[in-house]
Amino acid sequence: MKQIVVYQERCTACRECEMACSYYHEDAFVPAYSRIRVQDFYEEQFYQPMVCVHCADAPCATVCPTVAILREPDGQVRVHDDRCIGCKMCLLACPFGVMGFTPEKGLAHNCDMCDGDPQCVKFCVPNALAYEEVETGANARQKFAAAIAKQAATGGSPA
Amino acid sequence: MQARYVLVGNSAASLAAIDWIRKFDGSGPILLINREKGVAYSRVALPYFVSGERSLESILIRQRPDYERLGVTLLEDAEVTTLDPAVRALSLADGRRVEYEKLLLATGSEVVVPPIGGLEQCPHHHLWTLEDAIGMKKAAETAKRAVVIGGGFIGMLAAEALRKRAMDLTIVEMADQLMPQLLDAEGGKIFERAVRDAGVDLRLGTQVSAVGANGKGVRVTLSVGGTIDTDLLVVAAGVRPNLGCVGNGVIEKGRGIRVNERMETSQPGIYAAGDVAESADFVSGVPTVHAIWPTAVDQGRIAGANMAGRPVAYPGSLGMNVVGLFKVTLAQVGRFREAAGDVIEVSGSGGGQHYRKVVIDPAGTMVGAMYLGDENGVAEMGVIHHAIKRREPWRQFVAYGERRGASYAAMLARAPKPLPPGTR
Repeated sequence: MKQIVVYQERCTACRECEMACSYYHEDAFVPAYSRIRVQDFYEEQFYQPMVCVHCADAPCATVCPTVAILREPDGQVRVHDDRCIGCKMCLLACPFGVMGFTPEKGLAHNCDMCDGDPQCVKFCVPNALAYEEVETGANARQKFAAAIAKQAATGGSPA
Repeated sequence: MQARYVLVGNSAASLAAIDWIRKFDGSGPILLINREKGVAYSRVALPYFVSGERSLESILIRQRPDYERLGVTLLEDAEVTTLDPAVRALSLADGRRVEYEKLLLATGSEVVVPPIGGLEQCPHHHLWTLEDAIGMKKAAETAKRAVVIGGGFIGMLAAEALRKRAMDLTIVEMADQLMPQLLDAEGGKIFERAVRDAGVDLRLGTQVSAVGANGKGVRVTLSVGGTIDTDLLVVAAGVRPNLGCVGNGVIEKGRGIRVNERMETSQPGIYAAGDVAESADFVSGVPTVHAIWPTAVDQGRIAGANMAGRPVAYPGSLGMNVVGLFKVTLAQVGRFREAAGDVIEVSGSGGGQHYRKVVIDPAGTMVGAMYLGDENGVAEMGVIHHAIKRREPWRQFVAYGERRGASYAAMLARAPKPLPPGTR
């Protein structure tokens, strides 16, 4: 599936992504509304954009008591507003802290990749964000296992 | 009647069990017995239905074709009365017999009716089943005033739903604190202020000694003296495991049905999951009943896998809860009350509307956390939740905070990739 990929070493914490996301989804420039958030560790000069990775067995979807969080045919994990009651169990379940909440609407939200045209990627000046095809977990594991098997068979390097 | 898999109950635990049985056994017949009528609904959503924010349709979490697609026969309005594990059979209230190979007891909780004089004859509402919620919503449409007995989880959710319907509210709680399931004494005080600020008449440390009909309404008599007249009476004195069908002593039980790490009871082939099950607490290891949705889903999955012949062990139930009430968000994970020898890390208490506490055991491991504040603090509680699940030392969690970011970065970009197009 296509997903937002973060090139962390290029992020400058300019937070244009947060503004673009907030404006696209909520018609307002409020970082708190953004579904992508830059975590900063200024002393280490380490900046990390955090955004939903659409987990394979997504904890948010597992705990959702109203079946409002579903995996779509294209692979993304999506919050369905008509079923969300705003209980915030998904926020408490997400290991990455990337599930968000809009108090005015009383609804949870995650990255919906702007229906295929992610605004954060468009407005990221240092190109720390990209919208790319990523390997699914199963594919990556299979490749890893195959590489190990190849190494065992040939005695060469796994790569 | 007979089926390979017989499940009793039609909520979180049973539905999760169905999903995981079907992961490992695509065709074994499943019979689901439920004492309520209709398809599964979300109990968590009931207060939002009562408040009028959500329709009945939107809180149903399965439709009939979902059961058909999964090969599940739904037996509604049927109550299991006795189990006969020796011959792997059970009896229903209407006399029918059901034979099973594997049985899951996911009968949930039932409401505790407090010993209040006159309650039985007096019109009142609980908020536990869909039927309760429909009744309460109907009554709330004409009522102007409400009294809620019980300041715990369900009582406060009912109160919040009625507040959204702009009713005059009185909450009577016999303890000195609201929401003991989610808040310590300090958090309780902050929350209490928020509830009073919302205009609620809050009576803590007060018991109801009697209730009685008074014209079209209800008169509530308090133990400390005085009466309150109201239109709508809500009784929320808590819930307990629904052990009705295991009354004859064939299955070992404590507060709930005792299960091992495979969710199997003392009787081989009989499993229990959800509110009715008593399994190891993740933090203490002590058998505990955690009547919460996430635990029911986890336990249901584990039970389902084991019933279908796939041995999977449960690491224990980590209590977690979150709720927004009276414009304050409360959240809790694990053991959030400190014991002797524990260290606590507190941020933002002292009269403010933000309060977070992390409890660290004498070995330095994070064992629980509690939060009170606005909605967005819950996301960070999620990160803390998973650190507790990893049994992470607090020092590591704080000092290497950036490592979380680093490992996350590695996950997003697993292998080195060329820079994106358009790179300057």
